[in-house]
Order: sequence, then structure tokens, then C-alpha cells
Amino acid sequence: MKIFAKIFLIISIAVLAAWQIPWLIGYFDTKTDRTPFTLYSCVTGDFAILKHDGDDFTYTDRKGNIYTERQFDSILPLFYARQLFSEGRFPDTLDSKPIVFKEALEKSFFFTSRPSDINRSVPGIYFLLESESGRVDLEMPSDAFRINGRGIEFIDMETNSTDTAKSRIFTQAMSECGFVFPAKCVSGNPTPKKEYDEGYILADSEGSLFHLKMTKGKPYIRKIRLPDAVIAEHAFITEFGDRSMIALFTDSENRFYAVRMPGYKTMEIGMAGKGFDPCRESILVVGNMLDWTIRINSDDSVRYCAVSAESLTFLAGMEYPVRKSRLHGIRFTSQQDRFVKPRLY
Amino acid sequence: MLKAFISKEWIKTRWYLLAAFITITAFAAYSVHGIFRAVSIRGAGHIWEVMVTRDAVFIDIIQYVPLIAGVLLSIFQFTPEMQRKCLKLTLHLPVPAMRSTYVMIGFGMAALSVCFTAALLTISIPATAILPKELAARMVSTALPWFLAGYCGYTLATWIILEPSWKARTAWTFISVLILRIFFLAPAPAAYGKFLPWLALSVILSASLAWLSVTRFKAGRQD
Repeated sequence: MKIFAKIFLIISIAVLAAWQIPWLIGYFDTKTDRTPFTLYSCVTGDFAILKHDGDDFTYTDRKGNIYTERQFDSILPLFYARQLFSEGRFPDTLDSKPIVFKEALEKSFFFTSRPSDINRSVPGIYFLLESESGRVDLEMPSDAFRINGRGIEFIDMETNSTDTAKSRIFTQAMSECGFVFPAKCVSGNPTPKKEYDEGYILADSEGSLFHLKMTKGKPYIRKIRLPDAVIAEHAFITEFGDRSMIALFTDSENRFYAVRMPGYKTMEIGMAGKGFDPCRESILVVGNMLDWTIRINSDDSVRYCAVSAESLTFLAGMEYPVRKSRLHGIRFTSQQDRFVKPRLY
Repeated sequence: MLKAFISKEWIKTRWYLLAAFITITAFAAYSVHGIFRAVSIRGAGHIWEVMVTRDAVFIDIIQYVPLIAGVLLSIFQFTPEMQRKCLKLTLHLPVPAMRSTYVMIGFGMAALSVCFTAALLTISIPATAILPKELAARMVSTALPWFLAGYCGYTLATWIILEPSWKARTAWTFISVLILRIFFLAPAPAAYGKFLPWLALSVILSASLAWLSVTRFKAGRQD
């Protein structure tokens, strides 16, 4: 017993040292790698780069051209639209297309996803809002739902009891549409603080993609036609101001797609063969009416790619390497997930 | 002899155990009362919504209570042994020293189990009445590492108290604080998942450390 206790104590001390010593060194190491703010410019046809070192800002591009702040605003007219509009410098045409300020704002969007949003314990309870109540303001529903192997179950929140009639109607509608229970991925944005509601984008157990919402108390379910051999893995409902897109999703090969409306048209986003793994990489998409800049942060690099907003074809790409920490040890938490478990790094 | 040991431990700790039982159950009841109060004011839907969308579990108030209960039990149970030199007497009884040590620790673990089970039932039974099983399970699984910390606090405090040297006690205290930190790292509800059984196993193994202190005590180690 004494030997066993000693071994346990030595192992515990070793684990604690491997956890705390690298953490302490990292805590006092204030050197950080800052990736410059980078955005595709529809004016120069290249990436515009804003480098900052303390209070010093350098406005540049990949060719090394240096811009003033005003010039930088001008080469990113859709990103700095409000600034240019306030100065009366907002252009009438861009890329030979007429541009209206209001439309430019409406078609601009940001989309983010982090691995920790996906690698976490989820309660498995969701809220389905009424999408067509006839009122301008959305309201939270009085029930919630879960999806299991038997179907979709609605639970009245006041009585904590299953609404069997509603559950049966929705389960039947989903089954008739070809949904195979349970769901692999459920993505929605259940809040009344948004302009409109598109319900949920669901990936069923076979990787088919569906759109579910409630209109006038009835189920609205549509199967989203996917290209051959595409198995949906992670889906993200978008609900941007411009309603031309309903979802983004990745497939089992980490290819990235957008679902365009109307008609649920699936389009692969051209990323020059480099996919996006939502479980390991974070993504930021800054979109406007002409192009999207996609930033993907992975363990060893920050990749940028620009795609055409219309065809989603690849326009340009660049990559910043990320300095890997030379510290090794054990940690119990990670930015990649929201679990506590020991992991070597 | 076993009955006599248990009786001795019961006499030493009964008033503390009663107070711990009432306190920990009261904390559990208070946290659940908070949920019911919120339901009566804002409706059940609000609670469900906050739990799902904002990762609330409503029982955070109980977070450190099991740990404090475990550490205090060890203090009430083993400090008199060391102060009044009773441990020396206990170890000289015609019972193997290891057996007498682990009967005492076993008593403490069992007593804590009664308190912790009462608290968990106080939380989970009312919760299942107003919440779906997923959200009630989420509350309990969020609280489980805190209750494990209670057991671990007990075994580590016992290790420290039974240690005869103050220098070693200081070192063991430092190690214990770091070990106990592991139970409170959760960045979100139900974060321990598959790590929880391993953590529970580590807690059981941590009971072996007390034997190190007892052997050092028997060997007459001093500063």
C-alpha cells in the first residue's frame, strides 16, 4: 500500500508539474503573433492588409503598396460603406455594376464558427418559433422540442408534458419528406431578436439536409437537394438580412457549401482544394454583394481565400503561418472544445 | 472492534455531520427554490430558454459547498486524533493499522455520501418536475464534479492532517490545492463527460495517500 501510495503521489506530482509549469511560462510570455487584418478588395483584385504594431498602423497589400487611411477605405468600399457614404465618397459603380448604398449594407454579412461551438455538450432541447405569425415581432414559443430515434417530440414548457398531437403531425411530415431520425446536426437561431425566422437546418442520420420551420402552426419541411455523394456533416443556419442564402454546411470531406434561396440551390464554395473542418478550425466569413473573404484559423496557419459572391468561385488565396508554441505539457481545457479532460500538447 | 471504531467516529463527528447534512441540503433546496421562484415570476419557458441558450444551470451557489463539507469533516474527524495523540493509541490497538485507518476514512466517505446523495436528490427530484430530462440531467452532471471534489477534499485533507511534519504538510497542501483545482475548470455545463469516471477513480486512489502519512507518523517523523 505504501509503495502504491508513493507511485500515485509521484504520478500526481508529475501530472501537476506538466500542467502548471508550461502554463506559468506561457502566462509570463507576452509575445503574441498577430495576424494582420486582411480583406479582399474588389477594387485592387487582391487582399488589402492592415498591419498594426502598437499604435502604428500600416495600410498595405501583398505587392507592398502603401495606402493612406482614406485610400484604404476606398479600396474596401463595401466594408467601409458607411464611412465613405458619410464623406460622400461612396461609389456609384463597382466592378462595372451599379451599387446602391442601402443594398450594399443589406447584402453585407459576417459569419463565424469556432470549434468550441461544436465540440461541447448540448442539451438537445430546441425552440421552434412561429415563422408566419402575421405579426412583425417574433415571439418565443410555449413549447420546446427534442429529436430522437422515434421522431420529433414537442414538450409544453408550462406542464413539462409531451404534446403528442403536434409531435405526431411534425414527425409524420418529416418522415414523409424522407427524414431519417435521429438528427445528426440541428442548427437554428431561436431568438425573437431577429428580423425573420427560418427555423432549423437539420442533417438527418444519413447526412441528408432538411429545412424545418413552423408556419401558421403547421410543419414546413423541405429536403435540400445535395450533389451526388455529398453527406452533410455540420450545418449552420444563416438568417442574414439579405435572404438570398439560408445555410452554410460542410460535408464528410470537409468541403464547404452554401444553400441559396429561392430553390435551396446548393453551391460548393471554391476554396482551392483546402476544405474547412468545423471541429478543428474556426472560420470568419466577411461577405458583401461582390465577394466573400473567408478566414480559416487552424493550428498551424491562418488561411484567407476570396470567392465571388455570385458564383462562389475562387478568386484569390493567401496564408499566414502560425508560430507553434514550443511549450509542451498537459492541459485540461482547450480552445478547441468546452470539455475538461487531460490532453498532451 | 469494527462497530467500536464506527461508534468512535460517530461520537466525534455526529454534530458536525448533522450540521453538514442540514447545510448542504439547505443550499441544494435554496438553489432549487430559486428555479421555482423564477418559474412563478417569469414562467417555465424563461427558465428553459435561459438554460438552453445561455448555459445556465441555476445551482452554481452549491459549487464549493461539497468541497468545504469534505474538508471540514476531515478536520473534525482527524484533528482530535492528532491533537489528543489519540492516533498513537488507535494504531496500537490489536487491529492492523491499515484496517483501522481505512475504517475511519470509510466512515467519512460513507457519511459524505449520505449528505451528497441527499443534496443531489434535493436538486434532481424537483427539477425533473419542471424540466425535461435532458435539462435536469445537465444540472446533475454539472454538479457531479463538485461533489467529487467534496470526496477528494476529504481524502486530501486527511492526508495533510495525519502527516506529522509541518514541512511536508505545507507541500501536501500546495499539491492538494492544485489537484482540487481540476474539479473546477468547467468552461460550460456538463463539461467533464467521459473524464468523470477517471476523476472518480483518482479520488478513490487518493485515499491511499493517507496511509503514507500514517506510516510516517508511525515511524516518528518530525520537523
